[in-house]
Amino acid sequence: MSVWKTNDSDVKKILYVQTHGEKDPERTATPFFLATAGAAMDNEVCIYFTMNGPQCVAKGNGEKIIIPRKGGGGKELKFFIEQAQEIGVRFLVCQPSLDLHGYTMDDMIEGVEMIGGAAFNDMACDADAVIGF
Amino acid sequence: MTDVIKEDQVLDCSGMLCPMPVVKASKAMKEMQAGQILKMIATDPGAPPDMEAWSRQTGNELLRSMTENGKFIFYLKKK
Repeated sequence: MSVWKTNDSDVKKILYVQTHGEKDPERTATPFFLATAGAAMDNEVCIYFTMNGPQCVAKGNGEKIIIPRKGGGGKELKFFIEQAQEIGVRFLVCQPSLDLHGYTMDDMIEGVEMIGGAAFNDMACDADAVIGF
Repeated sequence: MTDVIKEDQVLDCSGMLCPMPVVKASKAMKEMQAGQILKMIATDPGAPPDMEAWSRQTGNELLRSMTENGKFIFYLKKK
C-alpha cells in the first residue's frame, strides 16, 4: 500500500526532499513554505527528510534554528513547521538518516512518520512532482 | 464600466507574505458554500501570479484580478 493517501486522480501528489539541517539554517524554511503553498492548492504533499534533514524535525530544533534575515529579525523554523503541519503536510524520515545523528523516533516532533528507501522510491514514482533541496 | 461583483466574504491579507495569502484563501474558501464569492486583498507582489495559479489548480474561479490604491484585489468564486 502506498504512503500516499489519495485515490482521487484530480489530487496531485507532490514530494519534497529536504537534505539540509542545523548547519544551513538559510536552507531549512523553504521546503516547508513551498509545501504549505502546495497543500493550500488542494494537493497531497509530503516532505521526506534525509541526510541532515531530520534535524529540521527533531524536538527543540524548531526553536533553535533561526532563519537568518539581512538586517536581523529572523524567524524561528518552528513557525514554518507548524504552518505546514496545520494545513496537512506530512513529514517522513528513514532510519539510516536518524542513525546518522543518533536520533530515534522519540527525538522527532509529533506527527513524523517513518518510511524506508523502498517506500520512498515507490512514492517518487507515483508522485506528480518530486522536488529536492 | 465594469460590473460590480458582490462578495459574500472579505479576506484582508495586507502585509502578509508568501505563502500566507494562499493559505488564508484556502482556509476561507473551505468554509464557504459553492457559488459564494470571496474578495481577497493582498499586498504581496507575488500575489497576482499566485492567485492565478491557485485558482487554476483548485478549480475555484478567479472572476477578477485588479489593483486599487497599490493593493491587489481578487474576486474568487467557490466551485
